[in-house]
Amino acid sequence: MSPYMLIILIFTLGLGTLITLSSSHWLIAWMGLELNTFAILPLMAQQHSPRAMEATIKYFIIQTTAATMLLFASVSNAWLSGQWEIQQMSHPTPLALITIALALKLGLAPMHAWFPEVLQGLNFSTGLILSTWQKLAPFSLLLQIPPTSSFLLITLGFISVLMGGWGGLNQTQLRKILGYSSIAHLGWMILIMQYAPPLTLLALTVYIVLTSSMFLTFLYNQATNINSLAISWTKTPMLTALTPLVLLSLGGLPPLTGFLPKWAILQELTKQGLTPVAALTALSALLSLYFYLRLSYATALTTPPNNLPATLPWRIIFKQPTTFLAVLITMSLSLLPLSPSVMAFFTF
Amino acid sequence: MKYLLFLLLFLLILGVVGVASNPSPGFAALSLVMVAGSGCSLLAGQGGYFLALILFLIYLGGMLVVFAYSVAFTGSDYVEGWGTRRISLAAAGYLLLVWGGGVILSTNLNEEFWTVGASFGEFVSLEYSLVGVAHLYMGGGWLLVAGAWALLLVLLAVLELVRGASRGAVRVV
Repeated sequence: MSPYMLIILIFTLGLGTLITLSSSHWLIAWMGLELNTFAILPLMAQQHSPRAMEATIKYFIIQTTAATMLLFASVSNAWLSGQWEIQQMSHPTPLALITIALALKLGLAPMHAWFPEVLQGLNFSTGLILSTWQKLAPFSLLLQIPPTSSFLLITLGFISVLMGGWGGLNQTQLRKILGYSSIAHLGWMILIMQYAPPLTLLALTVYIVLTSSMFLTFLYNQATNINSLAISWTKTPMLTALTPLVLLSLGGLPPLTGFLPKWAILQELTKQGLTPVAALTALSALLSLYFYLRLSYATALTTPPNNLPATLPWRIIFKQPTTFLAVLITMSLSLLPLSPSVMAFFTF
Repeated sequence: MKYLLFLLLFLLILGVVGVASNPSPGFAALSLVMVAGSGCSLLAGQGGYFLALILFLIYLGGMLVVFAYSVAFTGSDYVEGWGTRRISLAAAGYLLLVWGGGVILSTNLNEEFWTVGASFGEFVSLEYSLVGVAHLYMGGGWLLVAGAWALLLVLLAVLELVRGASRGAVRVV
């Protein structure tokens, strides 16, 4: 793609998110979301294959539907209450509709079916942007709206954790696995949103660090399915040793960073008297843990049959920069001892 | 006057049914012209002259024309319209739906109507959308720039998506 076009699109991606993050008027928030949607479309269609075009079109239709629902709900709210402030919404029906519209934008269950398929049609870097940057703007809106039906949020959260774990069990394609893992993590974030918004931000940040590590690892190894992942250990054995730990961190095991948000969320849920919800969600997270374990097993705990030349890539010095990946992996493995300061970072 | 209003409303509903029931984009665009024309006339009659003019100019005269030109490239041999039985039955079904919806909605009418611009006595005020656009240009500041950037971006995104004979999206069609 022409570098001028690339600069314009990436700039607009940043601009759109910043506009939504800093807006107090629903129309401006909607404008930021639309900017994000349009700016990422050419990036998604870069590969010009029918699969990439299909993913682009699906993404466009879903995001536009969600944005239209958002616009309808905010106009209804303006009609009912006379003002357009995001934090001053007072009527329950537009509130519920906005929550559902933002859930569709994020890919929360039961509106999650598009997300793994769209991710599968993209290359890893565009999928990374889709999974991390594009989540920031809808979350900022969800965090700002007044409390809505608690049943809706808990249902969205729990069903997302369940479907994220359950749906990922039958996958061999890594991008679809990462898609289902995204759905599950978003479910955890939504679950705690009405009780402790700082924990939502904590879960979101930790998730962004973890999933960026995984996307960049797969990008480095050029592995798109479990078979390719299994034979990629020869490229950088150091990375192969660390990948299972990052995957277990995604699964939420102590003493890795991924345990922190789950721990804090379960603690807050039990404090709020929602112990059955907490127990069921923790059990549903076991489903996700199973396919993370399967990936760890394929990456580092087995040596698939291979010929001799294929076991020698580590002798070549690759020019791919891995600095950012190294920083992300360090953060995704070792932040748990710093829990108090990490949590203080998000408390406002 | 009553007959004019009745005619405009009738054309509006007929046009909406036409847009929904026609599988050929040419006929659907023609029905869209009918919808926009009668809808705008109704709007202008209620005091929303600015919105009606903008719709005619930009929507019909800009976007619909470009759509019709792009659609003209996809001509098909066997164009079906209201002449075939299947589509005329579908159109009749939609008309029945509209009639049913009207029956349901007419049973709880409240007397509050929306206004396009408030007037009091002999003071005729400007239309809300006209004032809004004027404010956007006058005191909008960087928001106007952001709005213009959004429009420019959509143009660039569309051009990038359909760029060139071998590098664009339509290559695989």
